[in-house]
Amino acid sequence: MIEALQFEFIRNAVIAGCFASLICGVIGSFVVVNRLVFLAGGIAHAAFGGIGIAFFFGIPYMVGTLGFSLIAAMIMTAVVIKNKSRADTFIGILWAVGMATGIILLDMTPGYNVNLMSFLFGSILAVPGSDIVWMIGLSVFSISAAIFFYRDLLAISYDDEFARLRGVPVNLIYFLFIGLIAVSIVIIIRVVGLILVIALLTIPPYIAEKYVKSLAQMMVFSTLLAVVFNLSGLWIAYTYNLTSGATIILVAAAAFFISMIFDFFFLNKHPEST
Amino acid sequence: MNDPIIEVSHVYFSYNGAPVLSDVSLNIRKKEFVAFIGPNGGGKTTLIKLLLGILKPDRGTIKIMGQPPAKAAYHIGYVPQDVSINKSFPISVMDVVLMGRLQFHRWSRLSKKDRIAAKNALESLEMIEFQNRKIDDLSGGQRERVFIARALATEPDILFLDEPTANIDSQGRTDLYALLKELNKTKTIFVVSHDTMVLSSYVTSVACVNKNVHYHDDAEITEEMLDMGYHCPVELIAHGIPHRILKTHGDDS
Repeated sequence: MIEALQFEFIRNAVIAGCFASLICGVIGSFVVVNRLVFLAGGIAHAAFGGIGIAFFFGIPYMVGTLGFSLIAAMIMTAVVIKNKSRADTFIGILWAVGMATGIILLDMTPGYNVNLMSFLFGSILAVPGSDIVWMIGLSVFSISAAIFFYRDLLAISYDDEFARLRGVPVNLIYFLFIGLIAVSIVIIIRVVGLILVIALLTIPPYIAEKYVKSLAQMMVFSTLLAVVFNLSGLWIAYTYNLTSGATIILVAAAAFFISMIFDFFFLNKHPEST
Repeated sequence: MNDPIIEVSHVYFSYNGAPVLSDVSLNIRKKEFVAFIGPNGGGKTTLIKLLLGILKPDRGTIKIMGQPPAKAAYHIGYVPQDVSINKSFPISVMDVVLMGRLQFHRWSRLSKKDRIAAKNALESLEMIEFQNRKIDDLSGGQRERVFIARALATEPDILFLDEPTANIDSQGRTDLYALLKELNKTKTIFVVSHDTMVLSSYVTSVACVNKNVHYHDDAEITEEMLDMGYHCPVELIAHGIPHRILKTHGDDS
């Protein structure tokens, strides 16, 4: 692996993996504690429509996908705010519409020859340098925003009614938050593909949640876990010539099951304290 | 001292067409300790949410310290029902209390002053040693104290507590009411409770909420109340007046 770092595509993959891990740790923790995994899945699949638009109109991947995902995310947010308990149906519909739009637009793109699999399952080893610049920029932006609004995000996640009473503009922060999820998803799709983005966004925070005492700790711990998953998945993919997105997810899933077994045998405390 | 801190006049509220509160009028003076009692579904929590400005009345006006509730929420420390809060959330005690320092219309960067205020609030509730614990690891009584500390961290003039004793054993209840009594020296306090003990030596007045609101001053918790047919549909045990059971309100509507 060390000698492999002399190749630019490996260096790019490692950088992309590390930034994606930071995103998974920070934004993924908010997704998991807010139980927004389904919404994140909806945005990820709707993003496929953006990929179709990008190819059909010949605009850069990041611009098309980011734009479309943000619009889909804002529509979903409006529905969630209006009717939280019934939002899942609507998210499911947008999920499917995004996918269908993407497929039709790719069908209609003349001379279309992009490997569809690379968007479904990721192509971290083939991320061009220009996309790396986008990824770093967007990661820095979304992490800074999450840190700047940390207290507000924490407040609306934990007890939005109280936050509203204290004058936090809850709906505005909520839109911002879902927007950050959309940006994060577009970044992570590059690494593991849209099918697997949910696993990488949720497995590290989910494992971390059981061992931490605060959200900040959860973010740090899940970022470290994500780095380990990304780099070891990458190493396996490189060594055995496998699809990197799938190896990264399987490493994460293996860790997930190990942590469950560990909890079962060693973390049997946690009686309902009253 | 005698000007009302809360003025409610002729407030109506319905939920999906079903009336929850009708023609509610209420004047509360400073430093009162008011108990809201009444059956489930009687509208106690709704009334609290109207006073907080979370819900808007269909008709009528509410003024808190002379202002509409949405503006005056700043003066109110709110302790919600324990069950309404996401229990398994990974958040430390300190982070919960710091929520009380989110300021009205200010982007919420925390200053040193905010951290000191949060620490003081935890100290006043003897919970400072738990500041780095996860909220989920505390007992019901300890959690309640943390939520009260969060409300106190807002430096409120008025304190609303929605069923604070629901998850606490009787010793914990006694402690909690003693604490509220202490806080009552400087603050107006509202407690929603099924807990008839709250009516004993602690409160200064009782509001019976069951679609309408019947407000009883302390002086009125006497035999006259019974005679007037103006009573609360709950068992009332008060110090000095043991085992008094009040009949239902005569003017049910």
